[in-house]
Amino acid sequence: MVSVLAIPLLALVVSTGAGDFFGGLRHPLALSALRLSLLTTTSSLALTLLLGTPLAWWMARHPGPTERVVSTLVQLPIVVPPAVSGLALLLAFGRRGLLGPLLESAGWTLPFTTAAVVLAELFVSAPFYVQSATTAFRRLDEDLLWTARSLGASPARRFFEVALPLSRPGVVTGAALSWARALGEFGATLMFAGNLAGRTQTLPLAIYTALETDLRPAKALSVLMVAVALGVLLLLGRGTVLEAVRARA
Amino acid sequence: MLELDLEVVRDGFVLEVALSLGAGPTVLVGPNGAGKSTLLRAILGAVPVRRGRIVLEGRVLLDTQRGVSLPTEERRVAWVPQEYALFPHLSVRENVQFGAPGAAGRRRAGEFLDRLGLGPLAARLPGALSGGERQKVALARALAAEPRALLLDEPLAALDTETRASTRTLLSETLRQLGIPSLVVTHDARDLAVLAAPMVLLESGRVQSVGALSGFRAAPPTDFARSLLAPLSS
Repeated sequence: MVSVLAIPLLALVVSTGAGDFFGGLRHPLALSALRLSLLTTTSSLALTLLLGTPLAWWMARHPGPTERVVSTLVQLPIVVPPAVSGLALLLAFGRRGLLGPLLESAGWTLPFTTAAVVLAELFVSAPFYVQSATTAFRRLDEDLLWTARSLGASPARRFFEVALPLSRPGVVTGAALSWARALGEFGATLMFAGNLAGRTQTLPLAIYTALETDLRPAKALSVLMVAVALGVLLLLGRGTVLEAVRARA
Repeated sequence: MLELDLEVVRDGFVLEVALSLGAGPTVLVGPNGAGKSTLLRAILGAVPVRRGRIVLEGRVLLDTQRGVSLPTEERRVAWVPQEYALFPHLSVRENVQFGAPGAAGRRRAGEFLDRLGLGPLAARLPGALSGGERQKVALARALAAEPRALLLDEPLAALDTETRASTRTLLSETLRQLGIPSLVVTHDARDLAVLAAPMVLLESGRVQSVGALSGFRAAPPTDFARSLLAPLSS
């Protein structure tokens, strides 16, 4: 099992020399995709935190039938295939989609724009954050929140000074997982936002495009993404590979 | 004066209490499941009250008939739960200052830190404190918020015998000096002797008896009261 999981990644790293890596990263395709991915994933993460945190707090504080329905809906994008997510986004926000005419009358066209990339990333990645933050908020000791109330703390103070700091590990884990998922998003973006260099061509789409012309940027970007993924795992305290290496050293 | 007339219904359990608590400590005793913690939480506003009224120093905190129910943060009732509920990410000083905002609050918090001998521990996190120290921090935090009433749920139960004896005396002195209605839940007869305060006996959600310790000792109203006070006779 381990070899099945490790050999492809090893092959990727071994076949990409330093020259390939740095040369590939300087390729115009790579630079533009890097910039776009940074911009869109930062935006989708900001939106996830802004909209997902109140939702997670509400779900943790109001368990019951309504919360279970909302929770199931929120988790659906995790298990739905990315192509289905892309189609769903098109049918909702596309020109002839459910909300398309409404958006168009307000002067907004979403499909095949950078905003569509952000929306696709938000759709597939936010559930990871909401799930993790909800679990963290649920684990809070109720007595701490009641004590804070008895000491006169407003809802905002209870949240920002008690609940959030004490839930930080779960919230940070959720944010990191969500960001990593957004960075790797491919299928929904391709269907809903297309593959336009500089506008909607993120890192995974650039890798896909480069395969047909020049393998160097594809390999360089892939190695970069593996490194980023490893970094996220280390941040989450699951860097078993490096820990083992360190332990042996 | 804290006036209570409450009916709380929770999972089939009914708590019905009508009491008037004067300034200073009042001890609340009763067997497990009698409704002591539920009563404290009802005064705090942490459990729904089906019917009743809570009036603290003439201020109506709850009146179900008139549809009045002040939120917990506006009741000015401080609560120290059994495990103290110290904020684990805040230092001792930050914990004590939590309910005491502004420059005046900081000064007050400093006074209580000193009065309870917590000055040298002010920078520590609660995780680095002993049981007795944690208890004092919880008490200082509650008092620094300038509450109009104080609820202490088994404040000494988590302490070892030695710490318990010294903290008991400190608690008794502090509550007397404070002069606000303070309801103290305990299971320990020695706490009753040192606090020497009016007693309320709660059993099966109802007040069985109210009176002074001497009266309870002379004629224990129930079997529970008899066994609770037995250590004082020996």
